Amino acid sequence: MQMNVFETLADPMRRTIVEALLGGEQAVGDIVDRVDIHQSGVSRHLRILHEAGFVRVRPVGPRRLYSLRPEPFRELDEWVSRYRSLWEARLDRFAAELNRRKKARTLKGKERRS
Amino acid sequence: MTKRITIERSFDAPIEDVWELWTTKEGIESWWGPEGFMVKVRKLDLRPGGDLEYAMIATGAEQVEFMKKSGMPPTTELRIRFTEITTHRRLAYDQKADFIPGTEPYDVATTVDFHTTAAGVRMVLTFDAMHDEHWTKMAVMGWESELEKLRKALQA
Repeated sequence: MQMNVFETLADPMRRTIVEALLGGEQAVGDIVDRVDIHQSGVSRHLRILHEAGFVRVRPVGPRRLYSLRPEPFRELDEWVSRYRSLWEARLDRFAAELNRRKKARTLKGKERRS
Repeated sequence: MTKRITIERSFDAPIEDVWELWTTKEGIESWWGPEGFMVKVRKLDLRPGGDLEYAMIATGAEQVEFMKKSGMPPTTELRIRFTEITTHRRLAYDQKADFIPGTEPYDVATTVDFHTTAAGVRMVLTFDAMHDEHWTKMAVMGWESELEKLRKALQA
């Protein structure tokens, strides 16, 4: 099954594994040591993360070393940025409207005084 | 790890004005719509559990064209439901998020906190996840700070 980036990271164990990989390339055993998840669970989630393009694997002798790939995170980042920029634009208009009101009031005040 | 996005802005304005922009028909219509869209408030029931119903109408040439191309009508009827209203302090509401491709619509909870300062008003918007079946998808929103860490880790 092809999961999207959201579904892949919706699982707390997979997030924990990704966090463990933030420090750099690691073997399954190292990841198991760092997270409180059984080896079979770590392997299963690493496979899912691999299929979803979150991690890459590099065999070194008998060991398989896992590391993060930046692409899916860029996708997430873009999504969050879009959401944020939508709001930033809205708040620009919010600020403009506040200024307009302030000016209108100042103008009215002046008229009253004159 | 948090599951939130926060956006903060300070305004050199009285709290009454800021509050009005959020809680009156005229105020909401003045800024709520995205660029190239006009907002018309249909119903405003300002109380917890009450709804704000509004129409989002494409007015910019580019936006009208975009809606046409996407096979959508130029007017979209939308609704948010207020969950908390504390005058001049806090406003909270739920809104259906239906703009994420490939994902069923789900509720996003938004909280707006108003802090009156010597310089005016500091407004803090927090977008959080509802604890429903979709909340996990929203959890990734909290990845923002992690992403920064990751970017640095990958560049190193």
